[in-house]
Amino acid sequence: MQPTTHKLQWLVVIVCLFWPVDGLATQAHAGIEGVWVHQFAHVFFLFSMGLLIFWLRQAELVKLPGWRYIQYAALFFILWNLDAILVHLLDEQILAVTVNTIGPWHIRINAAAGRDWLATVYYLAKLDHLLCVPAMVCLMLGLRHMLQENRRSQSDGRLR
Amino acid sequence: MVTVSSFPIWFVDVVGSVLMIVFTFVSLGYCLELKKNEPTDIIIINYLLWVCVALAVFAISRSAGHLLKQIFLLSGHQALWTATQPFSGAINTFTFIVVASVTLFFERTWAIYGTILKDRQALQTAHEELIYLNQNLEGLVEERTEALAISEQKYRRIFEVSRDMILVTRTDGRILNINPAGKQLCGLSTASDSAIEGQLFQNYLSGPDDWKNINQHIENRGFISSEEFDLLLEDGSHRRVLLSGSLAKTPSEEGETIHFLVKDIEQRRLMQKQMAQADKLASIGELSSGIAHEINNPLGIILGYTQLLLRGEDPQSDRYNDLKTIEKHVRSCKAIVEDLLNFARTSHPHKEQIDIHAVITDVVHFVRHHSNLENIQIETALAPKLPSVLMDEKKIKQVLINLLMNAIHAVGRSGTIRIATGTNTAANRITVEVADTGHGIAKENLPRIFDPFFTTKPTGEGTGLGLSVSYGIIKGHGGHIIVKSEPDQGAAFTLSLPVSPAIAER
Repeated sequence: MQPTTHKLQWLVVIVCLFWPVDGLATQAHAGIEGVWVHQFAHVFFLFSMGLLIFWLRQAELVKLPGWRYIQYAALFFILWNLDAILVHLLDEQILAVTVNTIGPWHIRINAAAGRDWLATVYYLAKLDHLLCVPAMVCLMLGLRHMLQENRRSQSDGRLR
Repeated sequence: MVTVSSFPIWFVDVVGSVLMIVFTFVSLGYCLELKKNEPTDIIIINYLLWVCVALAVFAISRSAGHLLKQIFLLSGHQALWTATQPFSGAINTFTFIVVASVTLFFERTWAIYGTILKDRQALQTAHEELIYLNQNLEGLVEERTEALAISEQKYRRIFEVSRDMILVTRTDGRILNINPAGKQLCGLSTASDSAIEGQLFQNYLSGPDDWKNINQHIENRGFISSEEFDLLLEDGSHRRVLLSGSLAKTPSEEGETIHFLVKDIEQRRLMQKQMAQADKLASIGELSSGIAHEINNPLGIILGYTQLLLRGEDPQSDRYNDLKTIEKHVRSCKAIVEDLLNFARTSHPHKEQIDIHAVITDVVHFVRHHSNLENIQIETALAPKLPSVLMDEKKIKQVLINLLMNAIHAVGRSGTIRIATGTNTAANRITVEVADTGHGIAKENLPRIFDPFFTTKPTGEGTGLGLSVSYGIIKGHGGHIIVKSEPDQGAAFTLSLPVSPAIAER
């Protein structure tokens, strides 16, 4: 390194250290940022489930019933994540839908620009447990198969 | 704007939340049991356990949150839900990230784990092999030693019993090892191994450049294959051999070595020469026979007319003498023609059972009376109980006379001529050898001595048909005539005649 360049670098460091400006080291986190983080987490979850399906198929593990169920679980989790992303997007991010309670068991869904179809989609998407519960069921069935297989092989081993 | 019942949402939310908690905990239970039962696939089980734990936390956080939400909303505690909601959401977010992260790392960890398992298997196999070797080392060494001994014995036997020379030399030609056949060929049968080792193989090659040529071949190609050379034997004679050799690829403790295989082809070469000689003589015989037949008839006519003219002439007249000269020369010509026909074997011999010893005695007696043998000894060594042979007595006598006259001529003023007979029971033949102590036959003349009209005598002393006629006669009897001679060491002609089967059986 040339001596002149070296001196310049030191100069920049000194100026940066002693120049009087506002402190910007800590960023504030408020409002919509939490929703964005939550949405990113959903995308990350979705992406990881996609990769899991890819790896299971590449390793040909899906030929085993236990892993096949886990593959289905991953697929349901992907659908559930898409569903959840859509719901969060509509009612928390772009505020395309608002919901008012108009009675003990009735709600009114207001879609922007009077799009009733969007209100219907939102209503159906709110039933997200119809996707995450099957995902958990598939995961449970997969693990049960693995356990049964494990028990069978252990009993075979003992018989031998 | 759509107004709908909130019951389905509420029902699915509440029931779904309860089911999520139940299923995640059942899954977690399965995972824990799997971990307990399956310690070998710990990576997979750990992954599934992490996923289940994260999902369980998610389920509790989310489902409990949803349930609380319903409770708080129905009981009118909106503020409580507002305070609780961020915790539930944050935990949910965190659990998603945990599940996703664990899944992402799972594949990589799994691949590494696979490699570790493979390495562990390889180590296990190596360990088992080592244990096996450790436990059976003594037996294995013994087995291997035995196999090596058998192999060594096998190859040593090939080396020892080979009829061809097997020779190992250094690249400079120093002999390291030579088999018994090689020692015999080089005349080293009686020499000790230490005396042979260190001798140069090139000393046994007759040509001065032979070793250089062999070395050049081996340097260029790494081997030499079936090249003919002459070996120089201890007695100074040469022997034609077929030599193959190659450079040993793995140098031994003696350095780089060359392995040779040397095959004696002297007999084969002699046989080939004899066959070539026989072919040549057969061709000449055919030619001679054709010419003789063509000349014989005109000569007969000339002789007839000459004799007719002689009858009417006065014996004292010059014309009578001229005619007599013509008659004499025509008779010479006819004799030559007859010899040629004998050589060509056109006339069939009149064979009968004859005692060869009686024939030899007659011939020796005849020669002694008709030649000047003052200082020439004729010795006979006749084998006892020689079987009689089917032959034409007159023609065999002619052969013996020819051979004896040649021998007398070769011996000159003084010397010895020896006639020996013998039997070769293996070949079912009798042999008659006529050997002299004369000047021998020059090497360059040996291949030509049976050629018609070939003679070393001065012009006018011989027609050069004696040996040709003898050759033809012996061949006509189904026999062979061979000659051995060295200049100034005499010559030996050996007749080999077949014994007739009936006689042989007797």
